[in-house]
Amino acid sequence: MTWRPVWALIERELMRMVRQRGRLVSALVRPLIWLLVIGAGFGTLLGDAASGGYQRFLSPGLLGMVMLFAAMLVSLSVVYDKEFGIMRLLIISPLPHYWVVIAKTVSGMVVAVVQAAAFAVLLALMGYIGGAVSLPLLVLGLVATALACASLGMLIAVWSSTLDNFAVVMNFVIFPVFFLSGALYPVQQLPDILKIVAAINPFTYGVDLLKHALVSGLAPPLGPDFTIAIDITVLLGFAVLAVFVACLRFSHESAAGLLDFLRG
Amino acid sequence: MQVAPLPQSDVSLAIQTIDLSKAYGGLQAVDRLQLAIPAGQFFGLLGPNGSGKTTTIHMLTTLARPTAGQASVAGHDVLRESVAVRREVGLVFQESALDRTLTVDENLRFAGMLRNLSRATIRQRSDELLELFNLRERRHAKVATLSGGMRRALDIARGVLHRPRVLFLDEPTLGLDVPSRRGIWRFIERLRREEVMTVFLTTHYLEEAEACDQVAFLTSGRIIGAGTPESLVRRFGPYVLEIDGTDMDAVSGLLSPRLGPCLKEGATASFRVPDEQFSFAELQAELNDSVQAVRWRRPNLNDVFLWINDPTLSAGFEI
Repeated sequence: MTWRPVWALIERELMRMVRQRGRLVSALVRPLIWLLVIGAGFGTLLGDAASGGYQRFLSPGLLGMVMLFAAMLVSLSVVYDKEFGIMRLLIISPLPHYWVVIAKTVSGMVVAVVQAAAFAVLLALMGYIGGAVSLPLLVLGLVATALACASLGMLIAVWSSTLDNFAVVMNFVIFPVFFLSGALYPVQQLPDILKIVAAINPFTYGVDLLKHALVSGLAPPLGPDFTIAIDITVLLGFAVLAVFVACLRFSHESAAGLLDFLRG
Repeated sequence: MQVAPLPQSDVSLAIQTIDLSKAYGGLQAVDRLQLAIPAGQFFGLLGPNGSGKTTTIHMLTTLARPTAGQASVAGHDVLRESVAVRREVGLVFQESALDRTLTVDENLRFAGMLRNLSRATIRQRSDELLELFNLRERRHAKVATLSGGMRRALDIARGVLHRPRVLFLDEPTLGLDVPSRRGIWRFIERLRREEVMTVFLTTHYLEEAEACDQVAFLTSGRIIGAGTPESLVRRFGPYVLEIDGTDMDAVSGLLSPRLGPCLKEGATASFRVPDEQFSFAELQAELNDSVQAVRWRRPNLNDVFLWINDPTLSAGFEI
């Protein structure tokens, strides 16, 4: 299997990211607003405004938010590609069709990781990341969460035939996924029903993994809710499942091909 | 014409189909298509919109699954070896499929990388092709700023970047103005001179297919005639006679016994004139004031198609 076609897709997404500077800026400003406005507001409510504990607690969730939006925008490009015929260029290239799905997912993941890394640097410069940070865990958390987000985006993209269609789905997916996770509040303290929903939401585990990397030192319940092993298993499991279903939907050839590929 | 099915192993054929069919629900888009196109040929599949041309191309390039029959392209079965088929073919879609946010060069590089070409190869091929298609000066321009003709040229350049053995051109001049259409045809001619490949063209501008080695007429998914453009036109006859007038019935009543059935379009009746020695001067004198205009001209593929497409007209001659 050759990686150049995959790199072609990644390069194109990165080029697009850099060219649409407004998109990049808004990707970084959006979580900053959450951090500085919502974070400060809730921090006051919780009575830890002075220590900034709640804002530190928020940073893993906001990194997740950056990746969720970035991945959704890349999967939006799948729909864009369908509308403008570029998808046909992809499916006429001599790649197995499942490879197109995988390559698009990987390119979404890379863009998400790049943006989240930029935001992490910003957070560190502002002093919201510090102390007992595990860099390898942070990298792992970014990659695994980005992968899960990109797979989710791909799953939505293969079902959306038009851009309008996709915009509707985005609203019904991004916000629930973000709010019903541990990004804004500790999962343990949620009411039972919401706790169950959060436990089903794969994004919860991404945020949790990032909490392991960044805020494992915070006093409970602000620290992680699950173990690292559970987080990684859920994220990877979800990604594999989502990509597989996306392949099934993408083309008849794709699903059969992916099965052969997995069988080796 | 019906080409007899040849053995599957015939590798000298660039494209071969046996009873290739595609049905969408109750609609038979392509009906038992038989094609045997030798390597290097410039083949034209001609027919009106909706006759099944694009569906045929999609089946041959693995984008659509046949519902019956077989097809092989460059020696590979389209169903069982779809990736191998895609490796050997280039396809220029009916609608431009370029990334408008990228430049000319970037579009070519993207396509080249998808086909696993090295950067050096992509650069060298891009240079050649942009030169050939007069796009050299625009190579760093965004595709969004190109004219329709230039975009089409870039589409074609991208389709042959990887030196495909079989190039599919699906209505390459659709929606272009006349100068751009001429330009695209000059590019295709140049390309054919410089690269050895089989070209499978579809078009409904039949006059554009006269450069083809072989053409086939497709209507409602079936081939209704095939041959070289010259032989088809020759078999049609030496002249087409067109008469404009108000009383068409009188004209056909007068001439049909001599010339056979006529094709009526609005206020014009067209007759096939099978006789090279036909005396138009006599006819003109005879009709004189009863009609508005009398014209005669050499037939072209359009005439052939119109006539064989109509069962009441095609009885007169065999294709």
